[in-house]
Amino acid sequence: MPGTYLPSEYLPVLIFIIIAEAFGFGALLIGMIFRPKKPYYEKLMPYESGITPTGEPRYKFSIRFYIIAMLFVVFDVEAIFLYPWAIVFDKIGIYAFIEMNIFIIILLVGYIYAWRKEAFEWD
Amino acid sequence: MIDTSAMGIIQVEEDVKIMPPNIIITTFDKIINWGRLSSMWPTTFGLACCAIEMMAAGAAHNDLDRFGIIFRGSPRQADCVIVAGTVTKKMAPVVRRVYDQIPEPRYVIAMGSCACTGGVFKTYSTVQGCDSFLPVDVYVPGCPPRPETLLEGLIMLQEKIRNEKARWSPWR
Amino acid sequence: MAVTEVRITIHPAGIDPVQIAEKIKELFPDQVIDVANFRDQVSVIIKKDMAFAILKHLHDDPLLSFDHLQDLTAVDYLKKKDVRFEVVYGLYSMKYRHQIRIRAQVAEDNPSINSVVPIWEGANWHERECYDMFGIRFNGHPDLRRILMPEDWEGYPLRKDYPLKGPEIENDWIGFREVIRRSQELKEFEWEG
Repeated sequence: MPGTYLPSEYLPVLIFIIIAEAFGFGALLIGMIFRPKKPYYEKLMPYESGITPTGEPRYKFSIRFYIIAMLFVVFDVEAIFLYPWAIVFDKIGIYAFIEMNIFIIILLVGYIYAWRKEAFEWD
Repeated sequence: MIDTSAMGIIQVEEDVKIMPPNIIITTFDKIINWGRLSSMWPTTFGLACCAIEMMAAGAAHNDLDRFGIIFRGSPRQADCVIVAGTVTKKMAPVVRRVYDQIPEPRYVIAMGSCACTGGVFKTYSTVQGCDSFLPVDVYVPGCPPRPETLLEGLIMLQEKIRNEKARWSPWR
Repeated sequence: MAVTEVRITIHPAGIDPVQIAEKIKELFPDQVIDVANFRDQVSVIIKKDMAFAILKHLHDDPLLSFDHLQDLTAVDYLKKKDVRFEVVYGLYSMKYRHQIRIRAQVAEDNPSINSVVPIWEGANWHERECYDMFGIRFNGHPDLRRILMPEDWEGYPLRKDYPLKGPEIENDWIGFREVIRRSQELKEFEWEG
C-alpha cells in the first residue's frame, strides 16, 4: 500500500537523537567532573570593570518588542496552515481554494488594522 | 604490566604512547595541561606604558595569536591577567577585584618593573609591586620589556602549566 | 555671483609685559609687593586680598584682554620666604599675544584664596588639584574635592614637609590596607601551579 511507513524505518532518527543528546550532556558532564569549584563573595559579584556594581541591573524596554512577537506568532500559524493545504491542493478542488481565500481575507483585515494603527512603525 | 610491544604501541615520551598510525594514548594530566596552555586567554589590564608593549606583542610583527593567546575584555572569559603598568594605591582594589572575578585556573603575569617591584617610583601613591596583594606566577622585568621578553614570560608560564599535576578535579 | 566678504582685524601688537606690570602697580599700588623679571618673563607678586579684583580687571580691560588662563598652580616655599604658599596664575591674551604671570601670596595658617572660576571656567580642575596637593582652599569654587588622590586620603602630598615615600603601612590609606587584608584572607583560593 502506498503511503505506509514502518516504525523500524525511523531507527536512524532515534540514533541521531541519542548521539545529539550525548554530545550536549556529555560536554556539561565532563565540565562538571573536571572543573574546580571554589566560590567566594568577590568572585560571584557581577562584573563592572572592577568596582562594586552601582545602579539597577534591569531596565525598562519598550513594548513594541511584544507587539512584533505577537504579530509574528499569528501570521506564522497562518503560514503553517497553508502548507498542508498546498500539498493536497490538487485533490480537493475549487471548494478548498475559495475557503482558503476567505481564511486569508479574514486575516488580511487584521493585517490592515495593525498597519493603520502603526504597529509596524519602529520609532 | 601488560606487554604492549606486541600490539604495536610505541612510547613517544613519558606517559604518551602511540598506536600507529593515529591513536594516541596518554594521561588526563597531559591532555588537560596541553589544552590549558595552548589557549591561554589573558584579560587586558594595561595600566601605563607597558600596555603599549603588550599591544605590540599582540600585533602583527610579534604575533601572540599563533600561541593561542587571544585578549579577552572580560575577566569572566579569561584565564590569566597580565598586570602591565604602574599600580597605584587608588587602583589596587580594582586590580584585586578583576583578579577575583577570573574563574579558576587563573594565573598572574606581572609585566614591567612597576608591576614587579614598584619600578622607579618609591612614592606615596605607588604600590611597591603588585605581589603585595596578588599571587604572581611570572615576573617579566623591563621598562618596558620588549615584546620578545613578554613572549618569553608567556612561554615560561606555559612551561609552568605543563608541569602541573592533577589540578583538574573539584577536590584540588 | 556671490561675493564672500572676508574681514581681517589687525590688532595692535602686544604690550611689553614690564609695562603691564607698571599698569597694575598704578591701579593697585598697595596690593603689589614686587615685580620680578627674569629674561623677559615678568611676574607680579601680589597680596591675596584683592587678587580676584586684579585678575578680573586684567580679563575685562579691553587693552589688556587676558582671555586665556594658561596655568594655575601653587608653590610651597617652606621656610625660604615669610609667606609659605604662592598661587601662580599664568595669563595669556589671544588677541594681543602678550603674557604675564601673577603670583598671589597665601599664608600658612588657614590657606585660602578666592576662586577665579567665575572669570575663567577652565580653572575648575586646576584649583581642585591645588587643593588636593597643597591644601589651599578656594572660596566660591563650585565643587572643591580631591581630584588625583583617593577621596578620603589624609595629608597634602606636594607640600615640602610631606614624606616622598608616603605614610608607613600602618597609617596608610584605609582602602589599600583593606585590599591587603582581604588578599591575606583569600589565600586559600589562590591557584598554585
